[in-house]
Amino acid sequence: MRKYPIATLLLAVAALSHAEGITNPLTPDPAIVAEGKKLFNRTGCLACHGNNARGAVGPDLTDDEWLRAPSDEMVFNTIKNGRQGTAMSGFGSDLTDEQIWTIITWVRDENRKRKDTGK
Amino acid sequence: MHPKCKSHAAALRKAVALGGLLLAVALPHAANAQKPTPVSADMLLNAGMDPNNWLMAGRDYAGTRFSPLASVTTRNVKRLVPVYSFSLGTLDAQNTTPLVVDGIMYVTAAHAKIYAVDARSGKEIWQFSHPLPDNIGKMMCCDVGNRGAAVYGDKVYFATPDAHVIALDQATGKVVWDVTVGDWTKAQTMTVAPLVVKGKVIVGMSGAEFPTRLWIDALDAETGTQVWRRYTIPAPGEPGADTWGDTDPEAGTYGGGSTWITGSYDAALDTLYWSTGNPNPDWDGMGRIGDNLYTNSTLALNPDDGSIKFHYQYTPWDVWDFDGVNETILADIGDKKVWLHGDRNGFLYNIDRTDGKFIWAKEISKVNWATGFTPEGRPIVDKDKVPTYDHKATNVCPASEGGKWWNPMSYSPKNMMVVVPSREICVDILAGKSERVEGKYNLGIAEADWIKGHGQLVGFDATTGEKKWQVVAPSPFTSGVMTTAGGLAFAGTPEGEFKAFDIKSGEELWSYQTGSGIVGSPISFAIEGKQYIAVPSGWGGWTGWATWGGKGGAPHLKDMRKGGTIFVFALFDR
Repeated sequence: MRKYPIATLLLAVAALSHAEGITNPLTPDPAIVAEGKKLFNRTGCLACHGNNARGAVGPDLTDDEWLRAPSDEMVFNTIKNGRQGTAMSGFGSDLTDEQIWTIITWVRDENRKRKDTGK
Repeated sequence: MHPKCKSHAAALRKAVALGGLLLAVALPHAANAQKPTPVSADMLLNAGMDPNNWLMAGRDYAGTRFSPLASVTTRNVKRLVPVYSFSLGTLDAQNTTPLVVDGIMYVTAAHAKIYAVDARSGKEIWQFSHPLPDNIGKMMCCDVGNRGAAVYGDKVYFATPDAHVIALDQATGKVVWDVTVGDWTKAQTMTVAPLVVKGKVIVGMSGAEFPTRLWIDALDAETGTQVWRRYTIPAPGEPGADTWGDTDPEAGTYGGGSTWITGSYDAALDTLYWSTGNPNPDWDGMGRIGDNLYTNSTLALNPDDGSIKFHYQYTPWDVWDFDGVNETILADIGDKKVWLHGDRNGFLYNIDRTDGKFIWAKEISKVNWATGFTPEGRPIVDKDKVPTYDHKATNVCPASEGGKWWNPMSYSPKNMMVVVPSREICVDILAGKSERVEGKYNLGIAEADWIKGHGQLVGFDATTGEKKWQVVAPSPFTSGVMTTAGGLAFAGTPEGEFKAFDIKSGEELWSYQTGSGIVGSPISFAIEGKQYIAVPSGWGGWTGWATWGGKGGAPHLKDMRKGGTIFVFALFDR
């Protein structure tokens, strides 16, 4: 037990912030979708990911190419904790879990609309 | 300019003429590649006449980015081949200009890394990595990049995104001192390449996309102790503070005015020239009606105390994010001592550097936000191109990135030419009211739609401002430019092509695919008489102009490949 105390502690801390096996609890209600876009803009996501999340210095979040169509869990953890070694910061201190899901709901809706319209 | 040098231009011409001789006499330095040469104040003052080295980001205090080396010429440039490549070890924007001191290259990389490299072989001598806070990326508008280092004495200096300025031992890469000059949690961040002047390390700040009030700092090169700080926006009660309107008493307090491009220095006039960026919020001018001094200006500063001698403002009351932070190149043209400045507002300027008086401005790209200039050099604004909350200004030319973006241009005193990396892209803008919170973006934008355009490299006659040639390309030239005494201009593209052009005609003579987009700046140096040319490759930075909203000015640049590498070239030895 004394051999790995720091590693054990780090794993425990990581487990607190890194959610696994989760899915979006929100439904794409129009009000939630609209709020998601507002949060995306207000938080500054658009500065990197562009207007309507169509990509700028950061990737386009609305197409299927984005990181092999990531799971809800991956998107949630990326927004919350960031991606080490990249410019993607964690926004866990700026956004509640519900707000993160609200943004994901909007991004998913943009992805769906894009598929529907072919644009 | 050193007082010993009666005429910088004349001395430079002499240096070009004697290029071969200087190469020969400098051999003892270059032969000992692994023992770093301390950099003296005289070396910095005479950097323009030293063909072998590249001692500061702009190459010399005038910021010419002109190499007097002439082994590689318009006739033989086709024989240029890669000698080695050096991985920078990080992704994202490689905005750097490498330095070379007697055979050792000092090069920064994105994400706060720096390397010393044997410039002949590409072998790493040391590396240093400054640990960054996890969340630094969201405090930087335009990537976690860096624009280069400075060398002086036995130290190498660089600035980090989280606002540290660090002095490293030139031989070992060990930290000598590390000072924090800003609060990154309030978006006071750094990407600048420092400039050492009179024993002081001069640095500037990024962060004007957030509510900030930014500055230029001078630090003692030995200790890192602050010698002076020059805020670019006057405090309440100071001259110029009344240019921020009367509707918002805190407009200037959070008015931005960044300083992230390295300045220039004239030793004869003992004046430091440093440019300033956009006001905040970027596109919403409704709460700051006035000239918003000293944003979008070049400040002529006393390097001993940072006091302002005079200034010239390129874009008073900027509501287009024209961000006039670009470099000033000091040139002697005719009997005039001037600075040349290519601005994102679309104009190439010629300004008297003894008093800041306007001489001329010429269009780099199409300009329609201004219809001309008053005799004093103030732009005459087309009100239809001013975005407000209820007026969407359409087809505003140029868009925020220029004209000329931040990537440095080059001035060849040999050919009296200025070569400007540029683009022809316009934009539709609707201003929007956004909330002012420290550490949060405050762009003041409701809608922005970039209109598809194209890139260009433009060669100007430095004396008259006449456009001599223009190279049109699918994408903007996103690298800095280097000119050489071999009659060449080197520049790079987002697609990763590193190209050489005939400076007299703009004819493309050579090209090499580096594998990722080029957003840094090329240099040239010599070791034992052999000329080398180096360029950083590695796509990144703020590329919203290219793909914004799924459209943008160059939408084919979506998903460009990243990866940082320095490529070094020399003539093929037959």
